[in-house]
Amino acid sequence: MMRNKRLFVLLIGLILFIAVMGFSLSDRKDLTWPEKFLNDTVGYVQQWFYKPAGYVAGLFEDIRTMRELYEENARLRTTVASYARDKSKYNRIEQENARLQAKLNFTEEQKNRNNYTYMIAQVVSVSPDAYNRTFKINLGSRHGLKENMAVVTEEGLIGMISSVSPFTANVMPITELDGQSVNPKFISATVEGKEEDSFGIIESYNIENGQLLMSKIAEEDPLTDGDVVITSGLGDVFPVGIVVGTVTSHQVGDFGLTRTAFIDPAAEFDKLSEVLVVKVPEAAGDAE
Amino acid sequence: MRRRWVILIMVLLFILEGSLMPWLIPANWAGRLVPQFTFVFVLYASLYAGRHAALMLGVSFGMLQDLVFYGHLIGVHAFAMGLCGYVVGLLLSFKRIPMLTVLSLIGMACLLYDSIIYGMYRVFRVTHDTYVLALMQHILPSLFLQLAFALAFYVPARRWFSDFGQKKPLDDAV
Repeated sequence: MMRNKRLFVLLIGLILFIAVMGFSLSDRKDLTWPEKFLNDTVGYVQQWFYKPAGYVAGLFEDIRTMRELYEENARLRTTVASYARDKSKYNRIEQENARLQAKLNFTEEQKNRNNYTYMIAQVVSVSPDAYNRTFKINLGSRHGLKENMAVVTEEGLIGMISSVSPFTANVMPITELDGQSVNPKFISATVEGKEEDSFGIIESYNIENGQLLMSKIAEEDPLTDGDVVITSGLGDVFPVGIVVGTVTSHQVGDFGLTRTAFIDPAAEFDKLSEVLVVKVPEAAGDAE
Repeated sequence: MRRRWVILIMVLLFILEGSLMPWLIPANWAGRLVPQFTFVFVLYASLYAGRHAALMLGVSFGMLQDLVFYGHLIGVHAFAMGLCGYVVGLLLSFKRIPMLTVLSLIGMACLLYDSIIYGMYRVFRVTHDTYVLALMQHILPSLFLQLAFALAFYVPARRWFSDFGQKKPLDDAV
């Protein structure tokens, strides 16, 4: 009798767990309040440890890279020179663009479409799980964060926001992308310099060689090896022109109709301390 | 009193796992060395404080991890931690076993734990890697990290959890 009862409890527990897992796998829009509360409390405590540890680690890193500073400085000097040159050109083009937009009666919304705000967020903790490299940042829905917003560093795209609590949010790195999963996420992408002609979808990451897979590239697409892949911003939440990585190789896709490309991610996903969340101006339709 | 402190230490370990360890693990081992220190403590609980304590601790700390780092699934770690703690406790709790046996048992439990998690992610189609790849990629490297941690905390954990277990009948009596 006792044995039967124990078995019964065990089976009920198993069924309960599978139900919870199945439920959490579905495309959830919002977290429940206990989850939000737990996320915020734990995130608050975690940041006391993550940031100081980062400082100390950064100190050692600085000492180690002291010798590279000179070379880096020389490289940055040339970059600044070319930046100043581009800046004057950019100013002229921007003015002209504004003038033309005014002439063509662009609405306020259309004009502001590419005015992104970048919010600095501190990383609070990283998930200790090989199949879930989610990390937490210290901005949340109170700061205007929403699901699927892009998260970047200076080098390029890192990931997208997967769930939001009032004061913290979880970020799914693009290394977790998987086109074959139950509710896959895709990033539409194009190539820098050929934005009009090139299009593909970044859909998964290969853990073995550390590369992203971009598929559904048209046959006549001008994409070649060494091209810099950027987000195309087709689709509302993702901004335009964020660097994803460089193409290392490409080949004919599964059915021979499209091509796939392999991309080396531009950003480092490890030991992050600060990231930027890109906020796209809301379209008038879905403003709250 | 003791029990409260042990739980506090485990909470601290959980926090450090996510906030301090990412900085200590070398860059090219990130994602391959996965710290699971609370799980090692759950195993110590199952050896020295009984399987029911281990089941409770495993489910609660696993659930904590699932909720805090919610990415794909909720309940994977809670299930795996609770099950491993319970099974190890069922095999040998409160037995006087030498240190090497304890360590090899913890090693095997870690393998079981990572395999259960891999299996569940595979079933729910979160991953498509083969088991051999998972084994080489992160299960075996993490095993050594967990063993080193278990070795470092063998003496204090044994003391803490034998108090943890003895407290129980006293609590019941009161």
